[in-house]
Amino acid sequence: MNNFLKIQNLSVKVENKKIINDLNLDIKKGEVHAIMGPNGSGKSTLSNVLAGKSGYTIIEGSVDFCGEDLISLEPNERANKGIFLAFQYPVEIPGVTNINFIKTALDSNRKFRGLDPIKPGDFLKLVKEKSEILGIPEDRLKRQLNVGFSGGEKKRNEALQLMILNPLLAILDETDSGLDVDAFKIVADTINSTRSNDNSLLVITHYQRLLERIKPDIVHIFIDGSIVESGGPELAAEIENNGFERFANA
Amino acid sequence: MLNNLVLENFDQSFLKSPSLIDERKKAFSNLKKIGMPNKKVENWKYTDLDNLTKSIEFKPGIINLELSNQESKGINVREFDYFIKNKAQYLNPIKILENEGVVYLNISYSNEAKVIEIKEIQSQPLIINIISEGPGFSLPRLKIDVFPEIEAEIHLIYLGGEGFINQLTEVNLQKNSKIKLFRVNKSSAVHSETFLTYLDSNTNISLVNLSMPENNSRFQVYNSFQGRNSFSNFKSVSIPKDNCHDDFLVHNLHKSSNCESNVGIRSILNKGAVCSFQALVDVELNTSSSKAEQDCKAILLHENATMNAKPEMKIFNDDVVCKHGTTIGTLDKEQIFYLQSRGLDKISAEKILLQGIIKNYISDESPLNSFLPKVYQ
Ligand SMILES: Nc1ncnc2c1ncn2[C@@H]1O[C@H](COP(=O)(O)OP(=O)(O)O)[C@@H](O)[C@H]1O
Ligand SMILES: [Mg+2]
Repeated sequence: MNNFLKIQNLSVKVENKKIINDLNLDIKKGEVHAIMGPNGSGKSTLSNVLAGKSGYTIIEGSVDFCGEDLISLEPNERANKGIFLAFQYPVEIPGVTNINFIKTALDSNRKFRGLDPIKPGDFLKLVKEKSEILGIPEDRLKRQLNVGFSGGEKKRNEALQLMILNPLLAILDETDSGLDVDAFKIVADTINSTRSNDNSLLVITHYQRLLERIKPDIVHIFIDGSIVESGGPELAAEIENNGFERFANA
Repeated sequence: MLNNLVLENFDQSFLKSPSLIDERKKAFSNLKKIGMPNKKVENWKYTDLDNLTKSIEFKPGIINLELSNQESKGINVREFDYFIKNKAQYLNPIKILENEGVVYLNISYSNEAKVIEIKEIQSQPLIINIISEGPGFSLPRLKIDVFPEIEAEIHLIYLGGEGFINQLTEVNLQKNSKIKLFRVNKSSAVHSETFLTYLDSNTNISLVNLSMPENNSRFQVYNSFQGRNSFSNFKSVSIPKDNCHDDFLVHNLHKSSNCESNVGIRSILNKGAVCSFQALVDVELNTSSSKAEQDCKAILLHENATMNAKPEMKIFNDDVVCKHGTTIGTLDKEQIFYLQSRGLDKISAEKILLQGIIKNYISDESPLNSFLPKVYQ
């Protein structure tokens, strides 16, 4: 219970530039944490480091997930252990059908848990149910993965994968940006509905409006690669009104 | 190589067709003059065919063009006798393509031919297996003549073989006709095919080519748009065996208005494999509303793999829409990471990406799908 995600004194550099700076973050099971920070402060870098993207050098510190060292795991091992990153900019993958890919991903997760591939009928039912909630039309499922999707369509597709893969820890990297008002509500409420005592969310956003729908337990202000202040939802309101100035100068 | 050769020593069989002997002799003397293609010839800058064929014994190889359902209604198949009666047809490739050693070679020695006239719409594809046995030089000649208003599908399949195969293929599309071609090249011979198409008005030709040579291969295509409103679409997936070279040249010759040509290649290259792609769009001065696209994408899976791409446009008027793109590189790291971040291991992620590149040209439903290596199906 105590050991869910624990980041201790983490410093990370990219191409000789230090981006994450002595970061500490402790997320417990069932909690929702929000990270707010200016552009370029290292939020996506942190997401990528947690998901296991290569090209980052861990200078110092540790990341434990469910009592296990995360850093030494491959991205797919992390995914199969329950970490999911909803990308800020999902890539386009030509020639790969959206729905086939989602099934392959789910089956990889199931295989890891010792389960057989999901029956095609069950899978179709599941996808249909979730995509209806998210307002994703059927033809988009048959298209090539993210190819020619608008920004908003890509984000909805990330949310669909999140719903179907049902991870322990979901990291949402500005999932709200690029969505129009209606889509924003649908996606936010859908993600909020996945909350339970067994899973956690790390929500990266610029906007308080998202945090009004996915109510965080803790809000962190993230400047230059580290958390400079943590608090309740009132912090988000302060950012909305006054920006990051007070923290940047702190 | 050619200096010591005497035409009559190669094969007596064509003496049976004495009516062509003068034409053969003339072609042969032209061949001697210009020699076999080598890298000094701009169109052959990536393949030294002269050198590749040096060690192959200069004697006739055995080659067969085997046809499925040739009894079909509306298909008329003729053999070499067709050319004996139609000398002008026999020599036509020389007129279209001057100073081309492989054409002269075929004209000098060719003794196996099929001429397929398609006079009625075909519901079944016609399958042509090109089978060569034994070493030596095999010089098949294939002509496909699609009659006006007719649609047909043909599969050309080259598997195995030895020695050197130098094929000369012509596709003649009469007005308002349409042909869909699928080609599989898994030849283990040194392979060269010259592919000439003649497009009359309102015609449509598409070719999807799965090229997985197990030796050095050259496929050169010349599409001549002779009538208006015609369309050609040539797509190749090239997966040469390790250390083999798959060399393509596609010239789209827009001699008429309102024609569109697309040519594309997707290549996956492993250790020591080389793919070359020379594409030319040639739009003549007195034409209008031409469209052309050239598209090349290669994935290098090994540090010792090479892609040569040379897209070229010769455009003599302004009324043309042209697009071209070339990307050569390793698999995209962002894409691999995305797939891995959903639980796929790295090998599966790479496999899915390569499949994706191929699927753009060869879908699960394509007749070529079953010829793909298992990992890409
Ligand atoms: N691959 C990279 N190479 C060089 N610099 C990078 C790379 N990725 C991120 N950065 C830099 O790291 C900083 C943080 O970027 P990022 O994590 O995307 O910020 P945020 O998501 O908070 O806007 C930026 O200055 C960015 O330019
Ligand atoms: Mg970011």
